[in-house]
Order: sequence, then C-alpha cells, then structure tokens
Amino acid sequence: MEKILEVLFSGASIGAIYALIALGFVLIFKSTGILNFAQGELCMIGAFICYQFATLLNIPYILSFLIAIALGALLGSLIDLLFFRRLVGEPIYSTIMVTVGLGSILTCFSGLIWGHDVYALRSPFMNKTVSAGGMIFSQASLYTIGISILLFALFILFFNRSLLGVALKGTAEDSDTAGLMGINVKKMHMIIWAIGSTVAVVAGVFLAEQSFVQTSMSHTGIKAMSAAILGGMESLPGAIIGGFIVGIVESFAANYLSGLEMAGFHFGDIKDVVAFAIMIIVLMIRPHGIFGKEEVKRV
Amino acid sequence: MLKITNLETTYKDIILALKGISLEVPPAKIVTLLGANGAGKTTTINTVSGIRKTLDLTLEDGTIEFEGEIINEKEPYDVVARGILQVPEGRKVFAELTVDENIIIGSYTLTDRNKFSEGKNSVSGYFPVLKERGKQLAGYLSGGEQQMLVIARALMAEPKLIMMDEPSLGLAPLLVKEIFGIISRINSQEDVAILLVEQNANVALSIAHHGYILETGRIVMEGPSEVLREDRDIREFYLGLTEVGTKKSYREVKHYKRRKRWLS
Repeated sequence: MEKILEVLFSGASIGAIYALIALGFVLIFKSTGILNFAQGELCMIGAFICYQFATLLNIPYILSFLIAIALGALLGSLIDLLFFRRLVGEPIYSTIMVTVGLGSILTCFSGLIWGHDVYALRSPFMNKTVSAGGMIFSQASLYTIGISILLFALFILFFNRSLLGVALKGTAEDSDTAGLMGINVKKMHMIIWAIGSTVAVVAGVFLAEQSFVQTSMSHTGIKAMSAAILGGMESLPGAIIGGFIVGIVESFAANYLSGLEMAGFHFGDIKDVVAFAIMIIVLMIRPHGIFGKEEVKRV
Repeated sequence: MLKITNLETTYKDIILALKGISLEVPPAKIVTLLGANGAGKTTTINTVSGIRKTLDLTLEDGTIEFEGEIINEKEPYDVVARGILQVPEGRKVFAELTVDENIIIGSYTLTDRNKFSEGKNSVSGYFPVLKERGKQLAGYLSGGEQQMLVIARALMAEPKLIMMDEPSLGLAPLLVKEIFGIISRINSQEDVAILLVEQNANVALSIAHHGYILETGRIVMEGPSEVLREDRDIREFYLGLTEVGTKKSYREVKHYKRRKRWLS
C-alpha cells in the first residue's frame, strides 16, 4: 500500500510537469491555432536559465526562478513578435514546421551556450526527503505538486474572473468578433505566448529539480503534447488532468512493468510505451480527447 | 457624425464591391442601409470597422470620417475605442462563454470600470431574459436571445454609433418586431446613433429616420424614411406592395414587371 502511494506521488509530481507544459500547448493552440512543437525546448531553456543564475552565478534559488520566469515570458512574446504574428491563420503544416525548426534552433543555441553535458541545478530541495507514515517523499516532488496546483488554481481564477482572462478566452474562440469588441487581438496573442512560455519554463525548472539540466530535456515536450491531446486539445482542465494521467500511468509502468519478462520476451523500459498506448486507446474511444467536445454550433 | 465619402472597396483585389458610395449618419439618428444579397451592405460596415485583412478587403479610395477625424487606416480595436461598435451578422456570440462573460467582453473598452454595473443594469432593463440566463453558455441560447445578447454586448461599451448587420436575419416576424422596438428605444434613450443594415425594408423603414438603397455597390437612392416608403419603386421592389397599397398578388393573371427607374 505504501509503495503504491509512493508511486502515485512520484507519478503526480512528473504529471504536474507534463500538465504545465500541456497547458502551454493548449493555451497557444486554442488562441492562435498554432501547434507549438517547441514547447519542450522552451521548458529546457527555462531550466538552463535557472541553472545559469542559481548554479553558475550563485544567485539565490527563488530569485533565479523568478528571473527565469520573466525571461521565459519575454522569450515567448519575442517568438510571437518575430515569427507567429505574421503566421496567424496560415496553414497548420507551415506553422508546425516553423515551430519544429524553432525548437531545433533553441536546442542548438542552448548547446552552444551551456554545452551538451548533464548539469545539476542548485536548489534548496535537492536530495531532501520527507517521511510520513512510513513513506518517503522527495521534497522536490512535494514542492512541484504544491506550486503546480497553486498555479492551476490561479489560472482557473484568471480565465474565469478577470476581464483580461475572459477577453483571452473570447479571442481564442473567435478573434474577428473579439476585434469588433475593441480587443487588440495581436496583443492577446502575445500575452498567450508569454503565458504559454512561462508555464513551460516553470515546468523546466521543476523537471531540473527532480533530475538534471540537459538539452535532451526537450523530449518531455512530446509527452506533454500527448497529455494535451489526451485531455482534449481545446480544454484547459483537460490538459491538466491529461498531464496527471500520463505522469501517473508512466510512474506505475516504470515501477511494476519495467524489466518484466514474459515467455522469454523482455519488456525493457516500458514506461514511455505505456503512456502512448493509453493515449491511443483513449483517442480510439473518444477522438476529441477526454474533455474535448465537438463544437457547440448554432446556425 | 459618421461620414463616408466616395468609398471604394475591393474584394480579393479584383472585385469592386463598393463603387464609390457616400452616406452620412447624424448623431442620435437611425439610418438604414437597404439592399439585396451581395449589394455590399456588410462590406460597407466591415470597411468602417477596419476588419479588412482577414476578409480580403482593401480600401482603394474615399474617406471614412468619424467626428471630424479620418479613420480609414485605423485598426479594429482603435475604431471601437472611438465609439463605433459593430453588431456582426449572424449573431456572433462567443458560444463557449457564458452570457455574463459575453457581456463582460463587451465592456472591454470601458476604461471606467465603475460604469460596468451601471451598464449591465441598463442592458438587463432592455433585455430582461439575459439576466435570467446569465450563467448559461451563450451557444445554447435561442436565436432571438443570441441576437439580444450581441446587441447588449455592443451597448456595454457605451458606443456613440452602433452598426447593426441584419438583426432580423432568421428570426420569427414577431421577434423581429420586438427586437426592432428595442433598437428604437435604445436609440432614443441612450442617445446613440444607429446604422442599420437590413434586407427587411419594411421593418427597417418603420424605425429609421433616413434610408439609403444600395444596389451592387452603388447607392441608387436616398431620403427620409417617409419619402422612401411612399416611393413607387421602393414599394414595388422592396416592400412588395402594389400601387393601391395592397400586398401584391401573383395570382392575378396579368402581371407585368415594372422596370426600375434607376440605373444599377
């Protein structure tokens, strides 16, 4: 029982990271119609920025985290300003290719700046654990889950209660009509890119906290995308729940299925396969994802 | 207030949708722009609103003047900030948002947030049904309620001029009458000018002060509503009446088609 809880917990902490990245995917996709394949790279850049300030420059962790968030938001708005402002409404395959290209450029640059090695982020939660009722949790996981849930709550409040949040939702649904309401659509797209990039940066810092800082961190992006699709590409709660599902399933697979042998076949590292298998099955039953729905249409 | 002079707009760089139209909306008056499908009515107000890029419209010539200032090249949000609100055709509510959220979006340009609840109260005065449905998704409202919602949404921004694109579209005659009654009340009570784009000439001329007839990108006739209502051609082609004033019957054996007296 304790083992199950521990596995669930570590799954939830990686799931929170997926959920954060997936949230960025969904926000950007819903508002601008762009499927951002560079989301994982943004997450990696975030981790490197935080590493630069916390480990290399010895600036207090919290401050480095805040700097990483600010620079992440700046990077997101810059990406919108330079590339995607011109590409809104263009065919989805061309925008996807631009994001893929952008992703590899970002990887290349961070490789140039920081190198391709594996680095450790200096953080107050490194290698510390909390034990409760005979179970051991890492402090980094606790912290990840706590802050993520706080962020999700803030987002839900922001999008349902604030004028800007509601305006962003409206722009996401119908940007032409939003323009007719006096909303500056370009500005909204920029804000969405900033938010989407910020959540990726936060996820990157959390991920670095639990493992290491390295350029291959960007592969988390594709898992997070499967989480977003699983939840239904258009739904914010869907992205969050999808992220947690993928993380928890992965964690269970890693603990109970990895290294399993059956009739002479060796499963090997099965955790990545299970996450995608679940996604395929869910999509076969519900092609729009768990929370996705076919459009509400009235003519 | 709004003064359009010799406006020429092309569609997809090749079709001249507006061939130099001029019209004027005086403050606090209802002006109607009548015409059949494809006459260029919606193009006219979209050109004014500035949402040309996504629709592939280009303003080639002429000026749009609002309160003495030329607003030809303004972005849509800038046009709204000046007090020109468009109520788009086909009830473009934000279907995934609740009725209340739609109304909040309408108030986006309101800089003085204290005026929000005041505006909301006055809007619920005109459309009590929206208050009851506040928490529902706008996509699930009936057609009439959606039309009321888009008008309410535009009112929230405290506009000086509302451009309404076919508010009667696809609504039952009784509902059309109700909504036009409310439009007329809004015009007199809120002191807001209305440019009413319509196909339903009968009901539009009943509340408008002045009217323009648009045919294939040209204004072919204009005048005060009373004058237009009495014009023989308009009675025949837009109101469907005969010279004696009765409804035209196609059962009569002899039926000569009258030619329009204007060139279009």
